Amino acid sequence: MNATSGITRALALKEPYLNRWAMLACGTAAVLSAGLCAFGRVAFNVGAIGWLTAIIACGVMLAIYGVANERKEHSLQFVLSLPVSPRQYIRAKTIGMLLAFLPPWGAAMLAAVALVLLSPGVPDGMLPFVCVIGGFLLANFALVLCGALHARSEGLMVGVIIVTNMAVSIFMFVVGALPGIASHMTGPVPVWNDTVAGVLLAEAVVFVLALLLPQITAARRRDLL
Amino acid sequence: MSQTQHLHMRGVRKSFRFFGLHDLDLELEPGQVMGLVGPNGAGKSTTLRLVMGMLAPDAGQIHLFGHPMPEAQAEAKQHAGFVSADMRLLPNATLGWHLRLLSSIYPDWDAAYASVLLKRFNLHPEQMARSLSLGEQTKAALLLALARRPRLLVLDEPTTGLDPVARHEVLAELMDVMRDDSRSILFSSHNTADVERISDRIAFLDRGRMVACDDAGRFIERWRRIEVQLEPGSALPELPHVVAHQVDGSFHVVTTDDFGPWHLELLGGSVRNVQRMSLEEIFVTSVMHHREARP
Repeated sequence: MNATSGITRALALKEPYLNRWAMLACGTAAVLSAGLCAFGRVAFNVGAIGWLTAIIACGVMLAIYGVANERKEHSLQFVLSLPVSPRQYIRAKTIGMLLAFLPPWGAAMLAAVALVLLSPGVPDGMLPFVCVIGGFLLANFALVLCGALHARSEGLMVGVIIVTNMAVSIFMFVVGALPGIASHMTGPVPVWNDTVAGVLLAEAVVFVLALLLPQITAARRRDLL
Repeated sequence: MSQTQHLHMRGVRKSFRFFGLHDLDLELEPGQVMGLVGPNGAGKSTTLRLVMGMLAPDAGQIHLFGHPMPEAQAEAKQHAGFVSADMRLLPNATLGWHLRLLSSIYPDWDAAYASVLLKRFNLHPEQMARSLSLGEQTKAALLLALARRPRLLVLDEPTTGLDPVARHEVLAELMDVMRDDSRSILFSSHNTADVERISDRIAFLDRGRMVACDDAGRFIERWRRIEVQLEPGSALPELPHVVAHQVDGSFHVVTTDDFGPWHLELLGGSVRNVQRMSLEEIFVTSVMHHREARP
């Protein structure tokens, strides 16, 4: 391991450690919310909102505490005093934030998939919709992180959070109404058609682009403070 | 630029909306302690952040250990430690975690020295960074910088917010560092007493410009305040290197930044007193003179 990969690794690994309580709280809340969905229609609605909120909150908290507050509370000076270049810092931050987001997101997804497949009250046809929502929340986090790595003001950061939060409702409304998804949602078996594949592909593209953009733009900044 | 120089800055400029650093030149050799002194907004922090690659100059060149900054900052910062009064450790981690992080990054990490400093600064590895007081934050940051055994320490107001005992501990530690004459320190302070105590070179900054830069001893040696009582109706002769002149009737107080025997020869028997000046007096007079010259 050379010095360059060593410092990137050390800085990336610090993120899950520093954000461990937020990860634990959000992951637990998402799993419990998914479990609540098994107890009738009202509980399903409450649980679904709780599940969505837990994952969205996880992404927002990581972006605020892990990126924006590091600058605001002057910890960024400490990090930049280490032998790290702007490119390495942005790369480490991106990898570290992903490492912090993926465990609670993964736990939430496993719980939701288990709910759909194991709960008799929830039709298995909902599985593709759960997956595209999960994919959207992952892409949405990548966009919030991309915004946080670019934003240098609290106002801009708040703007990014508001827009990405609004996008969740719009996405569910629009994608949930697509015939290729809506017509199979209450069915007894999951239907993996072109519509589902197309949405997942679009989410994957947004996810990759949102993570790559800071490596090209923010990493070229000459003033990081 | 010599091969051994720790820091070389030439013609460095950096502009912000309401502030600019103009044509700054600085050089630091191994074994030197340079103190940057300046009022608020003089450009001290900007200068030190430029040195560490946290900011990039708009013009000019910065080389740290021969590496161009900020382009090669990752390599250069292997040998530099930075502490700033407003710098904070990562709040959700313990001091012990910070020690482990840095020991994994720096091959020359001195764990035994870190333990000594923990005791000396009365810090505990179990302490969460967010629970540290302002003074403890500074001492912890200094500990983390010192135990890297850096060739250059860059310190931005390191004694701000420290109580007198802690300030003494920190300065004593810095003087201890300088026993090794391959190391150097570049630090800024409002406190001229601290600067006078440990610096062997001093630079005065004001409004983004270098006002003066010289060896500490030469500052004290060259600057004088001369009290002159003239005969009524007679005029003060033209004197060289005068930076301040106060008049009260026929009583004059002349401050010079290059005192020499020619002053006494020109003034003759009218000289009542010649006083050495403290670094603070030199600094204030120098800044006021600079502002009069550039209103």
